[in-house]
Amino acid sequence: MSSLAVQARGLSVKFGDVTAVAGLDLDVKEGEIVGLVGPDGAGKTTTMRVLCGILVPDAGEAVVAGHDVLREPDRVKARIGYLPQRFALHPDLTVNENIAYLADLYSVPAGTWQQRRDELLEITDLARFANRQAVQLSGGMQQKLALICTLIHRPEVVFLDEPTTGVDPVSRRDFWHILYDLPRQGVTVVVTTPYMDEAAHCSRIAFMHQGRVLAQDSPAALRAAITARILEVRCRPQRTAREALKRYPTIEGVEVFGDRLRVAVSAEADPAAIRRVLEEAGVTGLDIRESAASLEDVFVALAVGQQSQEDDSRAGEE
Amino acid sequence: MRLRRMLAIARAEWIHNRRDPRSLVVIVVLPVVLLLLFGYGINYDLQHIPFAVYDLDGTEMGRSLIQQFQHSRYFSLREVITDRRRVDVLLDTEEVVFVLVVPPGLGRDLGAGRDAKVQALLNGSDTVRANVALGYIEGAILDYSTKLGIEFARHHGLSGTTPFTVHPIIFYNPGLESDNFIIPGLIVLLLAVLTALLTSTCIVRERELGSFETLVASPATALEIMLGKMLPYAVMAFADVLLCIIAGRLIFGVRVTGNISLLLAISIVFLAASLSIGILFSALARTQRVAIFLAFLGTFLPTVLLSGFVFPLRSMPAALQLISKVIPATHFLVVVRSIYLKASGMAVLWPLVLILAVFAVTLLAIAAKAFKKRI
Amino acid sequence: MGVAVQVDGLVRKFGDFIAVNEVSFEVREGEIFGFLGPNGSGKSTTIRCLCGLLLPSAGTVAVHGLDVRRHAEEIRAQIGYMPQFFSLYSDLSARQNIEFYAAMYGVPRAGLQQRMGEVCERLELGPIMERPAGNLSTGWRQRLALATSILHRPPLVFLDEPTSGVDPITRRMFWEVIDDLAQDGTTVFVTTHVMDEAEHCTRLAMMHYGRLIAQGSPDEMRSRHAKNMVEVRTGKLWDTLAVLQASDAVVEAVVFGDAIHAECHAALTNPAQTVREVLRSARISVESVAAIQPTMEDVFVSLARRYGHPEHVAAGGDG
Repeated sequence: MSSLAVQARGLSVKFGDVTAVAGLDLDVKEGEIVGLVGPDGAGKTTTMRVLCGILVPDAGEAVVAGHDVLREPDRVKARIGYLPQRFALHPDLTVNENIAYLADLYSVPAGTWQQRRDELLEITDLARFANRQAVQLSGGMQQKLALICTLIHRPEVVFLDEPTTGVDPVSRRDFWHILYDLPRQGVTVVVTTPYMDEAAHCSRIAFMHQGRVLAQDSPAALRAAITARILEVRCRPQRTAREALKRYPTIEGVEVFGDRLRVAVSAEADPAAIRRVLEEAGVTGLDIRESAASLEDVFVALAVGQQSQEDDSRAGEE
Repeated sequence: MRLRRMLAIARAEWIHNRRDPRSLVVIVVLPVVLLLLFGYGINYDLQHIPFAVYDLDGTEMGRSLIQQFQHSRYFSLREVITDRRRVDVLLDTEEVVFVLVVPPGLGRDLGAGRDAKVQALLNGSDTVRANVALGYIEGAILDYSTKLGIEFARHHGLSGTTPFTVHPIIFYNPGLESDNFIIPGLIVLLLAVLTALLTSTCIVRERELGSFETLVASPATALEIMLGKMLPYAVMAFADVLLCIIAGRLIFGVRVTGNISLLLAISIVFLAASLSIGILFSALARTQRVAIFLAFLGTFLPTVLLSGFVFPLRSMPAALQLISKVIPATHFLVVVRSIYLKASGMAVLWPLVLILAVFAVTLLAIAAKAFKKRI
Repeated sequence: MGVAVQVDGLVRKFGDFIAVNEVSFEVREGEIFGFLGPNGSGKSTTIRCLCGLLLPSAGTVAVHGLDVRRHAEEIRAQIGYMPQFFSLYSDLSARQNIEFYAAMYGVPRAGLQQRMGEVCERLELGPIMERPAGNLSTGWRQRLALATSILHRPPLVFLDEPTSGVDPITRRMFWEVIDDLAQDGTTVFVTTHVMDEAEHCTRLAMMHYGRLIAQGSPDEMRSRHAKNMVEVRTGKLWDTLAVLQASDAVVEAVVFGDAIHAECHAALTNPAQTVREVLRSARISVESVAAIQPTMEDVFVSLARRYGHPEHVAAGGDG
């Protein structure tokens, strides 16, 4: 159970002058759902393409499903499933035809995949659209069909590139319910997403920023690892509070949420002192509560940390 | 190499074509339209060449020369000019191809036993037409001269014979009808262009649609993808071969004198080479537009200009002749014309078939290689 | 507090397709009104009707008391609109784009430089002012687009998916600027398909296939529409999930990292206790079961499932 489904070391990919992936290391254990989480341009898609054997990296190596991606790409391809970010099925083929096409491409023994297909069509509620052309499905249904096609050959590792971007929340839930079935069958899932709320569904998260993995761990461990505490502050006028807090030393960040502020404070900060600062600034109706760090808090803390490290080293060079 | 993967790719491509009415246009309408356009458009046989006469002599002799022209099926008299300025007008407006000028004193000169010169003012802007017309004019004048010579000899009590005549026996195309020459060439042109057009979009289209990524992420090999993509188009192109042969017979009356089965068999080899060219363009191009453009230019121009379809290869510079050898259509053209006109068999054609086979394998290998690199 | 936007029975059709279906709501002055819904649920169409860019097929829309059908031009002068898709001039520099929009909206020349300075400082646009807009990354483009839409100090701003494709750090800046605007008395109407962004808004409306399915403050939405959420932790994540999914007490169970969030039936009085019993009978040892606040996505999914998925919109259009 504890052997690795994906192991990447020092992956680098450049497109001309742009470095998309910069020395990325990644370990994924078998049977996990791992999220590669980061904003657009963090290098998620490029990383995934390298791991699927369809893009050759400029440096580094990767072993996926027990085979070296660079030396034996075809062996890797036969053992994995890949769902690209863009809709990548034949739009003029029907649901059934697309599934059969993929089953043939992956040489699934004839007669063994039809049951799996019917099962998946049932779970995804697509059975009644089996003879409809893919182009006539809604975005959410297209993604569910793409997922079925990705799973039809029972891959050992599944790579999903932003599978639910642009998909309505209900279809997104359905989608995740299918994914939850996979670890139980020993299948490993690697999924990219720019959304922190979606990242929370994963059993492990690798935060990506500017072509590197900032940190990888379970969501709970990531939340626990951040030293800052989060305070929720309600008061009026909010802007006065925000400006007062930004000048105060132990405050690491202030974020506005409609009727309240989320304030990241360093571990040694004293809530009583912060209350005094706000009262002196003249706010009314003050209410301060401690809150749990969100994944986005963690990401921002890590990304800002890396940014300031780089700025420091750049300043050192000058 | 797995047959099932190849067939899966072929089936998807087939379904796509079946559901896309545009493919029907390319496969059925385009060949028929091209066949009609070219079949009627390219014709070296000129008949009823319009001409005018400007008779400055007005004698019996001049009129009988004009009659000689008037009675020929090659010429058609449009106007008898009386005003010098009409000459320019008629030639400028292309109402006539040439003006026959009978100079003053023609009858007098001939009567006196001197050489007489007839003037032909030709519109040389279309060199092919002007050349053919000039040939006919010279022939008609020569004919008339001979007739005059014989009459003159008889008149003086001599036996009226011509010293030399040629008695031609024309092989393979007895009527020297250009249709017999053009239609087989047209079949080659159509197949070369159509096949490349058909396959040129099949890979780049998937690239544009996004399904390309699924394909390259699957274990299917480049060769399986290439062959799978080609298979449906090979079937369609083969249907087009039959269509062309039938249309050639029904519309233009051109018969295959040789073995039709042999023609069909060899065309399969040519199709393999030609489809590979389209696939190669498809693997190289980034957009369908570029692929179609490349495929059209890359097959149409060389086939028209360098295969011997229109211009005889023997009269080309050595360098161009060399280039023409690396165009599969050049070799296939010889095969098709040979079978059509000479009823040639494998005994004669095998070297050409071998060359075509080498083309097919090489081009497919290059296409597979080019495709692999672009993943 | 006055009413900035009043919408009654708004319908917008494109041919047979009903993009917006009988939608009514009001936006009060000075609030941050969040218009939520997945892509294709009719948000952009609604926002275009409110700005007078599209005529409603039926219903009335009044902006600051003016009917959009009759006063579209006047309304447009009073609002700022940031469209969903980049619509600045790619070959003009950021500065030239801002100046162009300033001229379009008649910002007085006298105060222009000062106002530009303010807005650009607030959105930290300094480094890109002289660069062509077409060469900017999504984050910068969106900041620039926001700058052009608020430069003329409109009392009402429509922002269509302003944070789409933007990194989390820029996203935080956006919400700060939005809050600033609201503090200054500007009404902000903002659409998003990211449900957790709803937490930034003072009031919300949720769209689903062209229909408005709920509205209220974030807290009201939570308490009304998705009660009885519990967070469950056990050592066996996937087994626990299977048991909860099979249980009648649970409407839906979803994995969140190493925990499971289960929405229990609204009728249950003590859902945590019920879940404990369900797991005990399946012989799964429980680490913790605690009542939690549902996320805005939980609320949406719960509502959307109730409303169902109309078949005819399977191939529905965008926006």
